[in-house]
Amino acid sequence: MRTYVGGAILTTVLVTLFAASPSLLGNAQRGTTRASSPAQTPDISGVWARNLGAGAQIPGRPPGADFLSDSRKPEPAMTSWAEAQYKANKAASGYADPVFNCFPPGVPRIYAVDFNGVMELVQIPGRVLQIFEFDHHVRQIYTDGRKHDEAQAATWMGDSIGRWEGDTLVVETTNFNDQTRLDRLGHPHSDALTLVERFHRPNKDLLTIDITITDPKAYSKPWGGQLFYAFRPDWKVTEFMCKDNQTFDDFREKTAK
Amino acid sequence: MKRFLAAASAVIVGLLISPVAIVAHHSTADYETKLTTVSGTVTDYKLVNPHTQIFFDVKDDNGKVEKWVAETNSAVALYRTGWSKTTLKLGDKITATGNRAMNGATLMHLRTILLNGQELPMGRQ
Repeated sequence: MRTYVGGAILTTVLVTLFAASPSLLGNAQRGTTRASSPAQTPDISGVWARNLGAGAQIPGRPPGADFLSDSRKPEPAMTSWAEAQYKANKAASGYADPVFNCFPPGVPRIYAVDFNGVMELVQIPGRVLQIFEFDHHVRQIYTDGRKHDEAQAATWMGDSIGRWEGDTLVVETTNFNDQTRLDRLGHPHSDALTLVERFHRPNKDLLTIDITITDPKAYSKPWGGQLFYAFRPDWKVTEFMCKDNQTFDDFREKTAK
Repeated sequence: MKRFLAAASAVIVGLLISPVAIVAHHSTADYETKLTTVSGTVTDYKLVNPHTQIFFDVKDDNGKVEKWVAETNSAVALYRTGWSKTTLKLGDKITATGNRAMNGATLMHLRTILLNGQELPMGRQ
């Protein structure tokens, strides 16, 4: 499979730009980030979209809903705790999903929230930044060889460590709290969740993310699926704020009389 | 009183609702499945997330004005389909087709819109 390396120049420009930015240099200035050379790693940077709108299909993406939304897919093998949670989540109003009260969505839930599902990947020395259109969330994926931060309190979006395996960025995320759902369907997870995402760019226009969910408190064996993103160099990350949903609900309440 | 300038035929829910409801927070469950078409004059237009809102006045056969609201795709989706904050202006003549609120409110979930007789691209959501 061909690794896309055409963006090396862009990467170099980005690295130069970010190197000049004290705020983004952050840890590197304090010597805690060992810079790896992005020029030697595949280029997955740029703006990516999960949903192109207007009925447009992403070439290479199978038809139908992805695994975070597909209610017809086989159920993962749940523990009794997870089964009870899942049943309760499905019975409750959609409003019970913490993301609809504007708590951070967690991962992989963030891949199935807003309409276009736009994110920008930025590769800088020692880190890959994932900038989401939804609520301006930013994930920092450390690729400088550090270990997980065991001291940090449990987080909504997890603690992400990445490494390159050939042309694939493998990201392991731990230290989640148990307050988010995994998908639109209401599958729960515990604080023992370990998420592995494999970012791969099979061609210039396509990014795939293979996701493996391992959570022994909730599932008796790992499960997951694949997401597909289209390269959109002519798009930018705009904004899609969660709070606007509540404003819209107020509007609906007043209008629908 | 004839409330609509045109009323449309029923279609099945499956055709109206995309396979993946993108923002499930507010579903389309409380809108009729049949389509309703009304024509009027724009009084306000808000290109916002998660649903853009178009306010317009519709005159019935007796000259009485009804205040309608059409809510539709998110600002991000419409922006990427070519809409801007000035796509609609006060006084513009529009014809809106969509699913009316089930309780009879003059509110619709917009499906297609004609601006001065020309259809605007909407994308799909």
